[in-house]
Amino acid sequence: MKTIVEAKRMKKIYGGKGNVFTALDEIDLTVREGEFVGIMGPSGAGKSTLLNVLATIDTPTSGDVVIDGTSIINMKEEQLSAFRRDKLGFIFQDYNLLDTLTVKENILLPLALAKMNVAELERRVAIVADKFAIGSILEKYPYQISGGQKQRTAAARAIVAKPSLILADEPTGALDSKSATDLLESLKDLSEQDQATILTVTHDAFAASYCGRVLFIKDGKLFTELVKGKGTRKEFFNKVLDVLAALGGGASDVI
Amino acid sequence: MTLFSVTRKNIQGNFKNYLIYFLSMIFSVVIYYTFVSLQYSEEIQKSIQSWETMRSIFVQASIMLILFVTVFILYSNAFFTKKRKKEVGLYSLLGVRKKTIGKMLFYENLIMGAIAVLIGVLLGTLLSKLFTMMLLKLLSSTINVSFSISFEAVLNTLIVFSIIILFTSIQANRLIYRFKLIELFHAEQEGEQVAKASVGAAAGSIILIAFSYWIVFHPITEQQLVQLSLVLFGIVAGTYLLFRSLIVYLLRASQKNKSRYYRGMNLIGTTQLIYRFKGNARTLTMISLLSSVTLCAISVGYGGYYNIEKTARNWSPFSYSYISKNEVFDHQADQIILEDKEHPVQGKLDISVIQVNGDISDLEYVPYGYAAKSVPTRLIAVSTYNQIAKVLNREENLRLSGNEAAAIRPWQDNTFSDYVGHTITLKLSEENHSIKFVKMFEERVLGWVSPDIYVVVSDRLYTDIAKQVKPFVYQAYKVKNEKSTIETAKKLEKLLAKDTELSTFYTMYTKELESSGIDIFLLGFLGLVFLAATGSIIYFKQLNEAYSDQERYQILRKIGVSKREVLTTLSKQTLFVFLLPLVVGILHCTIILKAIFGVNLAEKTIMIPIFMVMAAYVIIYLGYYVLTVKSSNNIVNK
Ligand SMILES: Nc1ncnc2c1ncn2[C@@H]1O[C@H](COP(=O)(O)OP(=O)(O)OP(=O)(O)O)[C@@H](O)[C@H]1O
Ligand SMILES: [Mg+2]
Repeated sequence: MKTIVEAKRMKKIYGGKGNVFTALDEIDLTVREGEFVGIMGPSGAGKSTLLNVLATIDTPTSGDVVIDGTSIINMKEEQLSAFRRDKLGFIFQDYNLLDTLTVKENILLPLALAKMNVAELERRVAIVADKFAIGSILEKYPYQISGGQKQRTAAARAIVAKPSLILADEPTGALDSKSATDLLESLKDLSEQDQATILTVTHDAFAASYCGRVLFIKDGKLFTELVKGKGTRKEFFNKVLDVLAALGGGASDVI
Repeated sequence: MTLFSVTRKNIQGNFKNYLIYFLSMIFSVVIYYTFVSLQYSEEIQKSIQSWETMRSIFVQASIMLILFVTVFILYSNAFFTKKRKKEVGLYSLLGVRKKTIGKMLFYENLIMGAIAVLIGVLLGTLLSKLFTMMLLKLLSSTINVSFSISFEAVLNTLIVFSIIILFTSIQANRLIYRFKLIELFHAEQEGEQVAKASVGAAAGSIILIAFSYWIVFHPITEQQLVQLSLVLFGIVAGTYLLFRSLIVYLLRASQKNKSRYYRGMNLIGTTQLIYRFKGNARTLTMISLLSSVTLCAISVGYGGYYNIEKTARNWSPFSYSYISKNEVFDHQADQIILEDKEHPVQGKLDISVIQVNGDISDLEYVPYGYAAKSVPTRLIAVSTYNQIAKVLNREENLRLSGNEAAAIRPWQDNTFSDYVGHTITLKLSEENHSIKFVKMFEERVLGWVSPDIYVVVSDRLYTDIAKQVKPFVYQAYKVKNEKSTIETAKKLEKLLAKDTELSTFYTMYTKELESSGIDIFLLGFLGLVFLAATGSIIYFKQLNEAYSDQERYQILRKIGVSKREVLTTLSKQTLFVFLLPLVVGILHCTIILKAIFGVNLAEKTIMIPIFMVMAAYVIIYLGYYVLTVKSSNNIVNK
């Protein structure tokens, strides 16, 4: 299968002059088409930073990221925007919903930007709204809905355009276990049926057990990697817990 | 931490807000000081012949300026305060005593004000020289402008601004006492609710504006003040509702068209605008009203200046004309005029005129101070009229017979009514005589008198009436280069002081030049100030908006909107915010010009200056637009 995302010796340094902080330290990462990858690690480990760089929202200080065969260093701003709009779906940790738009408008925004015709657009919105059980709040504004509803709205917006790469930053953080399971199931569907590539950050071992592979990050470095392989989800879940325990100091932060 | 170091930290942290407020204050001082130093300038007093009457105009204009700077400073102060409420709340939360905070805010404002006045006066000194030169140029004066600081102007400025700044300082001091902590923290979120548009208010806006436009042309009451108040109320309230409801309503309606609304950035642009309009209805109303007042004022002023020659020619169609008293005087006057070799006589006429009382109730126009039943009416024979037309280079060969007559529109008649077909009745001692107008002239033939009703009648009728009422004779001269006949005009004035209705083109022309020169200068000055103010207000508003939109555009960029698309939607939204008040302003102005000043916009001599004024206004305004888009783009598109 072809490689969708490839990061080479990727480094991200925040701040400058005397006050530098290395958020990502020479990370190498390869994700192939259709993979469902989890990213775990203590708070402040650099998970969101990693996703942001992969999403081309942030630029690496050094190293390179190749997406779909093209290095983002060589891409112009217009191309990067086009990539984010056409290929990428991002579920942000802080939702990033537009407070001036209704839930429905927020969800359909990527379709509108892609200039899809209205009938198809409405159909797609109805499907995702149904999938995430937010049909009843479509006409509300973000400040009128709960955190979990916001998160589901953000998820709906990220997948509505059927992107080939989905990056999710703690997509289940604000959800009850039923909604979380629903969301994870739909992500899994997308990766299995539509061959969408998914990277999701999570603190939750249960959520991680849905993934085919889980990367562990600590202090900006790749700590280890777990592959689900042939085992059951339950077995995988226990393995993840083991690694989290081994991550040590951060363990109390993690769960 | 001492209070001083806290204050300093404050200023550093909020530098942009401080700067905007500070610049607004300096701007106000510069404007005001510049203006009053013109008022006290000796050079100007020397160049204006009728300084005493002009002084009162200057004083009136400076009162307008005081009003204006007060409003402007209060506005920027409110803007500044709103931005700082949170910070003030924070101090309170950190345990700084209210009294201390109040004192700090008071002194901060006072010190900024004092520095602003100082800088303003210095800048104003430079500017006032420039403006003095401009004014003198408009007056065609040759006096040299020296460089000086007028003590009276400084004093005047100090007094005015001390009061304003003291007031705002006290207000700043009260801020901490006036609000609860929680209110201070939520200040930024005010006016950000999503707007709902009520159909009633939207329709109300159209009705109010249409109604006031309509009564401008069809007065519903004789009382000027009531009429004017009604029109003003309609326009102000209508405009406010227009921005508050109608626009929001239309934008909401445009959302119904899904295939347009759900397309690209339209979704963002439309919602942003809806979001903005309601919160800014008051500002936008103020801006469109200010624009229309400014435009009207400058148009009227410039129109006057542009048409000085035409106006003077209407006041005094001949270079010189006076009523003949006796031959000795006539001879002396003739000598004076002939001696002036630089202004050779091109034509000389004896114009015989009869004055009778006439009943003009059939006409729409009634001269001020007269009853329509009996108005002094002056008659001229048609043959005389044709001679006049020839000397004044007017293509006219009028023929009248029997009771036919031709009217010359009186100077103050602003009714635009056509006199043709109407009749008036001349009251003669033997019998009354009705005459019927078959022709109407807009251009006048003799110097202005009150009530200024001139009628051309057939030669037959004229000789008939002359048998009953004795005619009198005007001596009228047309000379070359009549604009510069200063010496002859003075000599004639000395010779023909009384009861001769002496009218010289030169006197009328210089009088017009002076008063319109000052008019255009004052109006232009005020207009410029208003323009700068409206431009700045929108600029600051939009910048402020850009700051609060920053995050939204950030989100959009994250989901794949390119920088160029952000710039495009930003330009469109800003254009909307700029253009709408301008269009509304121009519309109001056009109606006001037409109604209140009786300006006939189709006339070329009036259209050209007004068009030029509007064009200049729009160009400067567009400059503000470009600046605003640039600055906002720098904020949201980093
Ligand atoms: N803009 C920034 N400037 C400076 N430091 C930053 C910036 N953004 C993130 N950091 C730092 O980089 C580190 C990694 O941040 P990141 O948000 O990637 O953590 P995370 O793994 O997503 O944590 P969490 O699980 O709490 O979301 C943190 O220590 C954070 O303080
Ligand atoms: Mg994070």
